[in-house]
Amino acid sequence: MVRVVVDMNSGGGGSGVGGTSTSSWVSTTSVSASGKRIQREMAELNMDPPQDCSAGPKGDNLYNWVATIIGPAGTPYQGGIFFLDITFPTDYPFKPPKVAFLTRIYHCNVDSAGNVNLDILKDSWSPALTITKVLLAVRSMFTNPSLHNPIVPGIAHLYLEDKAKHDQLAAEWTLRFAK
Amino acid sequence: MVSDSITHNAPIASAPNSRDFSKKKRTNRSAKLKQCKLDVRREQWLSQVGAVKSKCCKEDQNGARKERARSLENLRRRDEDNSNDSGSMHHDSDSESPSNSPTNSLLCGNSGTNPGTNFIGSSSSSSSVSGSSGGGCCSGSITEEEEEDGCLDDWEAVADALAADDDNNKQEPEHDRSCSQSPSESQLSVQSDSLHELANGLSLDSVKSMPDGARMVPSVSENNRRAWRPDDAFRPQSLPNLAKQRSFPAADRHFGQGGVPWACNNVLAAPSSCPICYEDLDYTDSSFLPCLCGFRLCLFCHKRILEEDGRCPGCRKPYEHDQVESEAIVQGGSMTFRLARSCSMIARS
Repeated sequence: MVRVVVDMNSGGGGSGVGGTSTSSWVSTTSVSASGKRIQREMAELNMDPPQDCSAGPKGDNLYNWVATIIGPAGTPYQGGIFFLDITFPTDYPFKPPKVAFLTRIYHCNVDSAGNVNLDILKDSWSPALTITKVLLAVRSMFTNPSLHNPIVPGIAHLYLEDKAKHDQLAAEWTLRFAK
Repeated sequence: MVSDSITHNAPIASAPNSRDFSKKKRTNRSAKLKQCKLDVRREQWLSQVGAVKSKCCKEDQNGARKERARSLENLRRRDEDNSNDSGSMHHDSDSESPSNSPTNSLLCGNSGTNPGTNFIGSSSSSSSVSGSSGGGCCSGSITEEEEEDGCLDDWEAVADALAADDDNNKQEPEHDRSCSQSPSESQLSVQSDSLHELANGLSLDSVKSMPDGARMVPSVSENNRRAWRPDDAFRPQSLPNLAKQRSFPAADRHFGQGGVPWACNNVLAAPSSCPICYEDLDYTDSSFLPCLCGFRLCLFCHKRILEEDGRCPGCRKPYEHDQVESEAIVQGGSMTFRLARSCSMIARS
């Protein structure tokens, strides 16, 4: 009931026509609901941050976050600090957040523009997932790259053919871009 | 036999529901008004009992039975308060749900009354033909049921009104309500109570005779009736907590009759807020189980997901279209209840 009242107030400025009130009601519902959800996720992330990860809003905009992941030990990305840009859609959590690397990385699941090829950020997204789980999934990508559907096939190929060469290149990129 | 047992069972099952349902919208004032009506009814009934006693006429009894059952409902409610007040052993010790308290008090009233009236009650039921006796019993329980649905269900409010009314009625004659029951008597009442709870065919005779006897009880003491305060040390734990129930306003409206035990079981396992939107789950939401995997969410989010990909966030399997199995269960419950009612009507005619 409260939700309805709030939405009526916020949606009142947008549409004065009675016929469009239904559609505006739906859209404004998602905005307020996603805002609350993102705030709660931020609080939980600050309370119990996942290992080697941190995230928070970039500025005033709750829907635009920046996250950092420290390269896990035992990987060629060790010691690197990787920045990620997280953009929440207005219908979050029903739609997945957009996650992109700001830091360049030599990884078969991250393309040159920084787009991340993770199934949970696409078809396997579930509204029950949180940004904490997304960050952990990205972090596990460092240790276990998904070689079956790589976004950069050349890197995956090199990983399978000559892992030492791949690791050396990845370490070089980490040193160059992430430190 | 079968229909009788159902009829006896039905009011017990429905009692907490209708009570809870009405509790929130009842006011003390309306309870007082009802009490006035009840007083009138009781007086009518008392005069009728007098007539019956003098005439010993069966037809009159059958005619007046309905009226009597009503006023007895009133008495029974008072009885309930009285029995609670006197701190009778089995009331305090048993951990039954409050749904059984009408039966309890009914039996308690029976054991507490003088043997003269008791004898009249049992003789009337035994002297009448067995068929008509069964019919009478049925009609009695149906009346009870309707009373429960109607104005009398809010017994706590009625008790409050009685407490307020107490001072005015001080001059009324005090009847023989003996608080000191012998241990064997209370034992007996406990036993027959559990039998009544089972309501199987074996115990039917004893069950039938007991309420009948109780129905014939003219009146129990007018004093000593008051509502339990929440902080009262002697307050039985089985009494419902009003404050708690008011926090779930929509509870019983949605689940109707027969749905309460099911709802109570699941509420305990439900999360307090929706994992999707973090809004607090209300009673409807927390009783809503859309997927077999057990993932719960609020109805808003569920509708939203159905509009889009329609997969359960917990297991990512598509939601089945008959996701409202919960409502089906509830409807089934009320249907069986109605069936029991109609059966009793048939048995009566």
